[in-house]
Amino acid sequence: MGEDTDSTPALNHHGFLPDHNYVTEADIISTVEFNHTGELLATGDKGGRVVIFQREPESKTEPFSQGEYNVYSTFQSHEPEFDYLKSLEIEEKINKIRWLPQQNAAHFLLSTNDKTIKLWKVSERDKRPEGYNLKDEEGRIKDISTVTSLQVPVLKPMDLMVEVTPRRVFANAHTYHINSISVNSDYETYMSADDLRINLWHLDITDRSFNIVDIKPANMEDLTEVITAAEFHPHHCNLFVYSSSKGTLRLCDMREAALCDKHSKLFEEPEDPSARSFFSEIISSVSDVKFSHSGRYLLTRDYLTAKVWDLNMESKPLETYQVHDYLRSKLCSLYENDCIFDKFECAWNGSDSVIMTGAYNNFFRMFDRNTKRDVTLEASRESSKPRAVLKPRRVCAAGGKRRKDDISVDSLDFTKKILHTAWHPNENIIAIAATNNLYIFQDKLNSEMH
Amino acid sequence: MTMMMPKGQKRKLSIEEEASDYRAPTWESQQQFLLTVSLNKYQFSQQLREPSLRRSVLIANTLRQISLQMSMVPSVNVEVSEPPGIASSALTASIAAAAKRHSAVTVDSCSALATCPMVSLNYSPNSTEKTNYSSESNFHISIEDDEDWGSMSTDTDSSLSAVISSILAALDSTIDGNPQPAPRIPLRPLENMSKPYEGSVALVNHGLRDPGDCREQQEDGSMEVMRSSYLGDFTVEDLFQDIDTSLVDIDMGVIGHRSTEGGHTAGDDLFMYLPPFSPHSPFSPHSITPTSQNAQPALIGQLA
Repeated sequence: MGEDTDSTPALNHHGFLPDHNYVTEADIISTVEFNHTGELLATGDKGGRVVIFQREPESKTEPFSQGEYNVYSTFQSHEPEFDYLKSLEIEEKINKIRWLPQQNAAHFLLSTNDKTIKLWKVSERDKRPEGYNLKDEEGRIKDISTVTSLQVPVLKPMDLMVEVTPRRVFANAHTYHINSISVNSDYETYMSADDLRINLWHLDITDRSFNIVDIKPANMEDLTEVITAAEFHPHHCNLFVYSSSKGTLRLCDMREAALCDKHSKLFEEPEDPSARSFFSEIISSVSDVKFSHSGRYLLTRDYLTAKVWDLNMESKPLETYQVHDYLRSKLCSLYENDCIFDKFECAWNGSDSVIMTGAYNNFFRMFDRNTKRDVTLEASRESSKPRAVLKPRRVCAAGGKRRKDDISVDSLDFTKKILHTAWHPNENIIAIAATNNLYIFQDKLNSEMH
Repeated sequence: MTMMMPKGQKRKLSIEEEASDYRAPTWESQQQFLLTVSLNKYQFSQQLREPSLRRSVLIANTLRQISLQMSMVPSVNVEVSEPPGIASSALTASIAAAAKRHSAVTVDSCSALATCPMVSLNYSPNSTEKTNYSSESNFHISIEDDEDWGSMSTDTDSSLSAVISSILAALDSTIDGNPQPAPRIPLRPLENMSKPYEGSVALVNHGLRDPGDCREQQEDGSMEVMRSSYLGDFTVEDLFQDIDTSLVDIDMGVIGHRSTEGGHTAGDDLFMYLPPFSPHSPFSPHSITPTSQNAQPALIGQLA
């Protein structure tokens, strides 16, 4: 499944000096997303920039360069702002990027920071008109007296230019920090979720949004739960799900009521009383939720596990996968150094047979739902020479039997965390964001999804 | 786990969770540890540009859970029951007292948490004491003159619950357009402690932001909440034995308020500020200056 994964060269995001362990904070990648065909891959970073990669078309003459991703366009999506009313800075960090399904030659994507969502149009220009009657080649107005005949301008090819223009700015609708955006299957609306509210937008209307979920208590002192992620159902435009910091998932139907505070279904696993600790709630907080491509399942990630839920079964998850259970005895330290608040994302493969999520020490994990096999791989410069095959890694408990190349729990680097991962919609190509580096891995042997 | 060692902070207790049995000493010490860590975290988060609401809520829930657990543990010493009405004045009793002596004190019931009246934390606009915030002197605490001194050193749970309530109230003010992190609550004057104070005075930490922010806080007139620096290994005796109230008087002169000495005079308002205590910097009374508030307890590694 993942054992023969090939690696394309690590794509250096911005300004990383190879000889120094120096990371500009602005270069830290904060979101990764393939578009619907997988041809384009967008990343956002803490500095508010978006970089779009495009997959090179396969070429028969150069078989090894087929399918590599190269930079297509870079633009500054969000700038730091200052909220004068609250005397607070608004970070320019891109929290999420979501592509719109392609409907014409141009590509559209939504990018958001904590407060503002923007719709960007990415278009190519490879021709330009020449032969104007009133302007010369440099654009200067011609002297009318020199014009003796009329000509029709013709389109001549030019060097490919990628233009990115902001088409919509959806602002001032969120008091709290936006954590999710999700485009609806109707391709007309999308939702944005912050800690306490979810708003529904129309892509063409920027000055109005509808609030569809509001969990803010009348008295903020009673606040015990926040929204952590939200997503529309891939096929049913009336259904969406949102997750909470208490580990619950709520499926809501927009046809039932204008305000979807009341859920249609509540997915919650009863707590195991024997495993209860001070940290039970924190580690149950869901950091990411994703519908399967089929729309039948939900994938959630909490601090130690990834869970697959069947939409028809609310009482407990269908499958639970231990991502890094060896951390369970270290929760106190992880609480102290704040790692316990890290929000890991998760991803499905195109056929919903494999799920993937990140961990610490630049490790990421893949679980095959059918064979029940799992693998731990590392995204690092040392282990990712071009064309190299990734070697499975293993973490052993401290003091346990240790094989060669095993990593002990105590040697894990908790500053190297893989929070953002993405899987190509059709092929076995994955994008892994490791701090400020983007890794793209392809499974050359098993290109087709099983 | 070397990566986990917080820089510059002495680890007092064992890290790993060893005992789930709440009667085991390690469980209690872990609870104490968690309590102090949680409070430190919360305090730190209030200083960030924009605290993450999810993080604040999770920490607050953990604090609440700890306080509930502590209230259920049977105690050894004298029982304390404190009428809820005094909860506001009990705020000074402190987190540090709770952390250090929770096992020695019984609490009435964990219903204190539920019944702790939020309203009592409100800064009474009719009160004679006014906090003047200026950019130079950010250390004004007002005192209620009807405080019950006797309960000062022994109440823990209700004070703790009051603190937690105030923390949650601060979430409201923080989120709903209030630029300031939690405002303060009254403290008791130091020189009125006739006996060794085994609890501790909560150290109020204010003015960590720009001086410009202080003006806004004044205009808000918002609720005050205690933000404490826990005292760690030091007892209050160690802390205050060097206090020279004449220095305090001098500072009071700056603020423009009269100080009292030796005994609390009813009706007098005493303003005092203690800089946040750091285990690394020895406390010295003459450090009651605006600059001292930059001495922060070393924070646990905060990852981006």
